[in-house]
Amino acid sequence: MLTEKRNWGWHVLLILIVMAIMLPVLFMISNSFKTLQESYHAILQLIPAKPTFSNYLTLNKQINLLRMVSNTFLMAMIVTLGKVATGLLAAYAFQNFHFKGKRLVYFIFVATIFVPFTTVMIPNYLVIAKMNLLNNVIGVALPQMADATGIMLFIKAMGKIPASLTESAKVDGIPNRKIFMNLIIPLLKPSIISVGAIFFINSWNEYVWPTLVLKDKSSFTLPLALQNYISSEGGTNFPLAMALAVIMIVPPLLIYMIFQRYILNSISTSGLK
Amino acid sequence: MLNNNSQIEEAVNSRYGPRASRKPRRRLLPFLYLLPSALLLLVFMIIPIGYTFYLSFFNWNLIAPTKEFVGLANYVNVFTDPTNQKVILNTLVYIVLLVILNFILPYFISLIVNFFIGKMKGPYKILFFIPSLFSLVVGAMLFSWILNPVSGPLALFLRDFGMKVPQWTNSGAMAIVVICLITNWKVFGYNFILLLTGLGAVPKNILDAAALDGVPKWRVIWNIVLPLNRGVAIYVFILTIVQGLQYVFTPINVITQGGPYYGSSNLLYHTYLNAFVLYKTGNASALATVTFVIFLILLFIEIKFVEGRHKDAD
Repeated sequence: MLTEKRNWGWHVLLILIVMAIMLPVLFMISNSFKTLQESYHAILQLIPAKPTFSNYLTLNKQINLLRMVSNTFLMAMIVTLGKVATGLLAAYAFQNFHFKGKRLVYFIFVATIFVPFTTVMIPNYLVIAKMNLLNNVIGVALPQMADATGIMLFIKAMGKIPASLTESAKVDGIPNRKIFMNLIIPLLKPSIISVGAIFFINSWNEYVWPTLVLKDKSSFTLPLALQNYISSEGGTNFPLAMALAVIMIVPPLLIYMIFQRYILNSISTSGLK
Repeated sequence: MLNNNSQIEEAVNSRYGPRASRKPRRRLLPFLYLLPSALLLLVFMIIPIGYTFYLSFFNWNLIAPTKEFVGLANYVNVFTDPTNQKVILNTLVYIVLLVILNFILPYFISLIVNFFIGKMKGPYKILFFIPSLFSLVVGAMLFSWILNPVSGPLALFLRDFGMKVPQWTNSGAMAIVVICLITNWKVFGYNFILLLTGLGAVPKNILDAAALDGVPKWRVIWNIVLPLNRGVAIYVFILTIVQGLQYVFTPINVITQGGPYYGSSNLLYHTYLNAFVLYKTGNASALATVTFVIFLILLFIEIKFVEGRHKDAD
């Protein structure tokens, strides 16, 4: 109660942080609807005087936008489905079976989360090249699927299902396959949605593997396309680059708007062991 | 697939009876569930770690049919080559900056939000998190716009005061700061939420009792809250280093390519440069192995402290 009076001071600080985080994004959206000239002269005008789609149209002429959106979507979808399915299966094994070496296997699985991508990138590149999957959506998706975070998050979610439920199903002689499909999966729906959403967004934004695997422009995903619009020597056409960036941020934002509560819940619990 | 399995199972059951078929199946079943994940992790994680270690003892260019065995030369090179030394030093600078920006700063803000502002946590959580949804390439583009020395908004703003934005891409130190700020923009909200959740788990009655005794709030936080939240804090601290060093790869590659003169490069970027730009596979593998060992040490620190927290709680 005593601190109540001083609250507004903290709120000012927090709102400043929100502005520092969000204003660049808002200006990016605004500038993507300005001409190059207007973006210079009216740089801090948040609402464009004469909004124009010209950047989006130019973009569509310069690169095959539809192709790159579908490349990115397909890759993110394959990675998401693959990681959710394999993660659920493995989590069920750890949660519902006792077998020799379980703790060790679990430790090795989870420890792989700490492996830096540089330690595996050369062999993975060689394997993908050997499999003739360079410039291919499967080739860029496969290394991303080797990720144990899903297993960890799904085990946490399964831990909340009362053990008596699965035990009694087992006593009734229901096979594991049916317990998994008809009991566990429906109960885990909120967790599957949020973990899937997080996986999709991460893969949609993935930069490292696409850089290594996708060299042919027609196979590019959106982050690679955007990189081509950023010049390190200056002279970037920012309204154009910003239009592409706006296209990139729309799907993750939509997913966040729909599943915000699920997503934040999953993120929160991922820190609590 | 599943239908097939059930048909097979039924066929087996009808021939041998359910009892007879169950036992050997039972023993194999968990491994069947583990198989897809295990295969992926084996092929794209565990075997590659070994192969990278193997490659670190050879001179190779990623393409030639033969590799030349050079023993420990690549490792000697990691620690004696001036460029490598510079890159290792840069990595330490990155770690310090990342810890300040992506760990200490969000921790401070999460303490304020949890203890000093009452009930308005929700909107801040939702808004702070938004950049975590966006690609670091977008972040790199935004910051090179804002900080563009000629036409960026900051330059235009400072011009009114007769000041200039320096050519920060020409200075390794300034480039490192900007690159860390870019990851800070992305990671701040994510780490904030992890830390805030940890603070939310600190029992309320302890805080109330301290407040009744008239202990000042900052002292309660320092002496009670921070020790109780140690597990989550160490988790985020390690995450900040492990994930942060990988996150900075993207803005480095997009904006500076490690330059000027390796001034903004770090261990991970230099590994990539050796492997895929200079085609010095052996050097790259030695650098990658050293990075792996450092991360492994961080993993064991995490385990030790997070396990420790479990014992404290019990």
